[in-house]
Order: sequence, then structure tokens, then C-alpha cells
Amino acid sequence: MKTVFIATLTTLAAAAAFAQSTPIRIGVVTPLSGTYAGIGQQVRWGLDLAAREINAAGGVAGRQLELIYEDEEANPAVAVQKAEKLFQVSKVDFLTGTVNSGSTLAVGQVAERNGKLMATTVSFADSITGDKCSPNVFRVNARAGMQSAALADWMATTRPNANVFYLGPDYEMGRSTVAAFKSAAEGKGAKSAGEVFAPLDNKDYSPYFGQIRSSRPTVIYTSVAGNDTVRLFNQMAEFGVSRNVQVVGASGTVTSQNLAAIGRNADGFVTGVGYSPLIDSPENKRFVTAFEAANKALPDLYGTDSYGVLYLYKAAVEKARSTETDRVREAMRGMSWSTPQGVKTIRAGDHQAMQDMYAVRVNSGKFEIVGRVSAAAAIGPDACTRF
Amino acid sequence: MDWLQFVLAPQVINGLSIGVAVVLMALGLTIIFGLLDVINMAHGEFYALGAFVAVALIGMGLSFWLALLVTPVLLALVGYLSERTLVQRVFHSKDRHTLTLLLTFGLGVVMEDALKIVFGANPLRLEAPIQGATEMLGLFFPHYRLFVMLFGGAVIAAVWLLVFRTPLGAMVRAAAFDRHMTASLGVPVHKVYAATFAFGVALAALAGVLLAPMYSVFPTMGRDFVFIAFSVVIIGGMGSIKGAVLAGLVLTQVQSISSLWISPVWSDPLLFGIMVLVLVWRPQGLFGRLGHA
Repeated sequence: MKTVFIATLTTLAAAAAFAQSTPIRIGVVTPLSGTYAGIGQQVRWGLDLAAREINAAGGVAGRQLELIYEDEEANPAVAVQKAEKLFQVSKVDFLTGTVNSGSTLAVGQVAERNGKLMATTVSFADSITGDKCSPNVFRVNARAGMQSAALADWMATTRPNANVFYLGPDYEMGRSTVAAFKSAAEGKGAKSAGEVFAPLDNKDYSPYFGQIRSSRPTVIYTSVAGNDTVRLFNQMAEFGVSRNVQVVGASGTVTSQNLAAIGRNADGFVTGVGYSPLIDSPENKRFVTAFEAANKALPDLYGTDSYGVLYLYKAAVEKARSTETDRVREAMRGMSWSTPQGVKTIRAGDHQAMQDMYAVRVNSGKFEIVGRVSAAAAIGPDACTRF
Repeated sequence: MDWLQFVLAPQVINGLSIGVAVVLMALGLTIIFGLLDVINMAHGEFYALGAFVAVALIGMGLSFWLALLVTPVLLALVGYLSERTLVQRVFHSKDRHTLTLLLTFGLGVVMEDALKIVFGANPLRLEAPIQGATEMLGLFFPHYRLFVMLFGGAVIAAVWLLVFRTPLGAMVRAAAFDRHMTASLGVPVHKVYAATFAFGVALAALAGVLLAPMYSVFPTMGRDFVFIAFSVVIIGGMGSIKGAVLAGLVLTQVQSISSLWISPVWSDPLLFGIMVLVLVWRPQGLFGRLGHA
């Protein structure tokens, strides 16, 4: 009798604590200055919009959401300090916003030490939900492998048995994206015509064009980014290398930041990605309208996935009836929730969100959807062994 | 045969167009050093400024050809003013090398950030005024690159004529050899200095406009050619025009052809390796200094 009474009392206390009116604090460690400031801007726009909507509709289980921003300058060392500060001083319940994959991995360890949960909405590196997975880290955006899968699938149907030449920037990101896409493409029947790795910030790609032409590729895959893309694409057009050849690449290769400087030489480029503002669904149209009205800019994949993460957290907390780490984690694992891209599901085995992937083609400054791969086909094997 | 035609020959030709670009950059540097004994660390930023000014002029409705003409003139003015207002102030101190190096380095940093503030960090594009390409014997010649090679070659020849075959050039060479003697002969040495600095800056700006359609325009573009231009000047001989031309053309060929066998990432270390060897073997560089040889 006594035990039952105490149990009831504890439940009542917990419910009372849960229904309290203090806000739920969410820490955001994101680059607001430096190289990735443009991405951090989208993250902030997405999170602010979702928080406003959720709070206006009554909050999460009756509690308002409060976002606390810290600038991590796209530097993992700074990110770690800021995350520690948010957990220890600001007492945040949940953390998100990291962009650089190195920052996400480092902040994941901080979250583990503090017994809190975090989610990335931007980082691509497969290892985050692969061999370096953490029970405290979730990813709501598509990882690099899923992007490759979508692109390889599009290529296999439109350019069967393609002869592919690979051109990547010579550092970790370049080598891993080329390796990932190569294995995805060869799994679907493509052959390799050759590969070359150019230095980062390369001036002139024309010295490689001889090699490319003599290997007679039908497809050129590249994962250069930023200004390197501008030069590569304009020089390929100048030398007629891209004539009668399909150019494809990583999702960071052509972005709204460099598209204007590439101009029509970007037309026809195809990439695999988790979002396009042109997705034809009522949820997405409503989201794009609201986002554009609030920020005078279109959402990109980063803004959209950052918007989506707060709805995941809301669904998980309401299902767990608590903000306590273990219970929210249990709720999130296997959870499906609604986003502008449609319903996403967190895979319990590695905390990676599963979603439909798209092949998009650049046409006069817009990313048109030309292909779609189901979540199940894109997700790939679960490589996480820690939990 | 296929290899010779598709791989080696284009490599040599492409190397040549980069070579002309490097020589244009190195010429300005070496002339400023040869005469003023100043290492212009802001040279890359003057190159960038040239490209941005051209973008702005073309945005205002000028044609590319007019911008190619007007930009070096405007930048010569900027160069002249920087020499008179900044370099001149520290020129006569005992630590001239250190002070002018720091001064021009600082000037470069300020210019790069100013470009970022005014034009933004995203790359801009300058459309090539000559489109199209000729295919000959399986080789591909973009018309604009051919123009750059020919025009650049003509500019280099003109600079050589100006320095070695005109009274103006004679004044410059005399001032480089012995400034006191030259001054006592009635040559306005201060003006010659400022004009030479301006001329070097104008060459960098010309290179900036000329290369913009090939390499795009962005605030940090100055770093692209300045390192290789410095090594060219060091190998060719600080202050030697002949050395800059020769070293510029040879080194870019070495880089271009070597990248067929070694990873392109190693082509810069290769270049700096050659520079170190030359410094050990002939610290003064391959050729003598302007006015001294």
C-alpha cells in the first residue's frame, strides 16, 4: 500500500514537473561568422521559424521553446567550448546547429559527457552515424552516402554503363566523396575512366583536360566546391570538355553562393541531395512560403533540416512526457515525424534519419528535381556498432 | 601518339598561357624591386584590385576592351599615390627592407578586406570577350587563351623595349644603378621611383583584367599567382627582366608537364625545391639586377 502511494506520488511529481511553465532551453552551436557563416544563417532562419511556429501553437507539452545561440566560427575547438558552456551554464536540455563534421563529432562527445542529447542538421560525414556513432547523437539530414546513392541511381537509369572520370579536391572531403560515389556507381554498372585530385584553390584545371579527353568519359563526377567549382566549370566550357558529357557532382559543388558566377555553364549539372525548394507537396509549399516571408530568401537543405529538427524534438518530448535524456532518446529511436521533405524516420540502429532522396538538375539558376530514390533504397547498411 | 596529341601537347600549350600570366605578374615585382629595392607584398592585391575595377567598369557599361585599357591607367594612379604617400615615408630609413615589406604587406591585407566589404566574398564572373575555340589536329585552342598568349607576349616585348630602348628606360636604369649620381645629373629621381612603382602596379592590374575571364574574380585571388611570381623573381634574379621572363616560362612548363607524372599537389613543392636549389647554387639568381648587368 505504502509503495503504491509513493509510486503515485512520484508519478504526480514527475507530471507536475513536466507540466511546468518554464521554457525548454535548446542550445544552438553554429557558425555565425567565418567561412560557413552562410550555412549558419540558414540554420538560424530554419530554427527561428520552427520555434516561432511551435510557440505560437502552444509550445512543447505546454512549455515554450527558448533558443540560445553561440557562434562556433566553424572551428571544432571553439564549438566544444561553446557546447560545454551551454550545457553547464545555460543548462540547455538539447543541442543542435553544428555544421562542420569535425564540430559535430567533437560536440557529440561533450553531449555524452554531460548526459544530454544533440542532433546535427547539416554535417555530411558518414562516420557521424557510422563508425563514430554516439548514443547521444542524432542526424536529421541526409549523409554523404545517401546523396551518392540518389545520384548513382539517377545515373544508372539515364546513362547506363557510364564511363566516369572522377575529379576531386585533394584533401579528406574530396577523396572520401570520390571513393563513396565511385563504389555506389560501380555497384550499378558504371566503369571508371580515370581519376585526378587537384589541389584545393586550384587556379587552372586545363592541365587535366588532356587526360580527361583522352579517356573519353561519358560522365564527369566532381566534388570540388566554392570558387574551385566556378573555375572548373567555366574552364571546362572554355575548352569544350563538358560538351556531350554529363557533369555530375557532390551536393556542395554548386550552391546558391557560387551559382551566379558560374552562370549558364552550370546548366545541366546533376547532384544527389535531400531537399529542393521545388518539392511538390503541400507541406513543402507552406514551408517555403513561410520561410521566404520571414527571411526574404529561399530555404536550402540546411535551413529546411534545421526547421525539421525542432519538430522531431517536440514529437519526442511529447511522446516521452519528459525532457529527461534516456526517455527522449528512447522516444526518438524509430520515431517518424513530419517535415517539409515528407515523413522522416530515425533508424534506431544508428540514429540516422531515413528520407527520400532526390537527383536535382541545375537549369537557369534553379534546382529541378529529375529523380527520386526511396528512403529504404538510399539509406545503406547500418555501420554503427556502439549501441 | 594518342598520348602525345591528347595529353602532352595540350599540357605544353596550357602551361604557356599560365606562363604568360605569371611573367606579367613577375615583371611588375621585379621592376619594383630592381629599381626601388622594395619587395612589394601587396602585388597580388593590386592584381585583384585590377580585376575588380574591370568588373565594376564593365558593370557601368564599358566594353571589355575599354576596361582592359582604362584599368591599368587607373591602377597606375593608385600605385603612384601609394608610393608617394606611403612607401616614400619609410623609404629612407635604415630598415628600408623590413619597413617597406611590412608596409606593403599591411596594405595588401587592408586591400583584400576592403574588396570583401565592397564586393562581397562570393566569386564574380567576367565573360570572356572572345568566345569559341578552334579544333586543330585534335587539339583544342580556346580563342581567348590564344589572345592572352599573343597580347601578353606583346606586352612583355613592349616592357622590354621601354626599359632598354627608350630615354625613359635609360633614366630608370640609371636611377637603379646609382641614385645619387642620377639625381645630380638632373633626373627627378623621386618621380622616377613613384612612376616605376605605378608602372609595376599597372602591370599587375593588366594581368588581373586579362586573366579574370579564365580564373574568375574574388577578394583572395591575389594569392593565386603571387607565390609563384615571387619564386620566379627569385630564381630569375631579383630585378632582372630577362630572368623573370625566362624563369616564368620555364617554371610553369616544369609544373605543367610534371603534373602528368606526379600528383598535382606536389607541383608547388617542386617549384619551391627548385627555388631552394637555385638559392644555394646562385644566391643572386640566374641573371643580374636591373641597371647592373
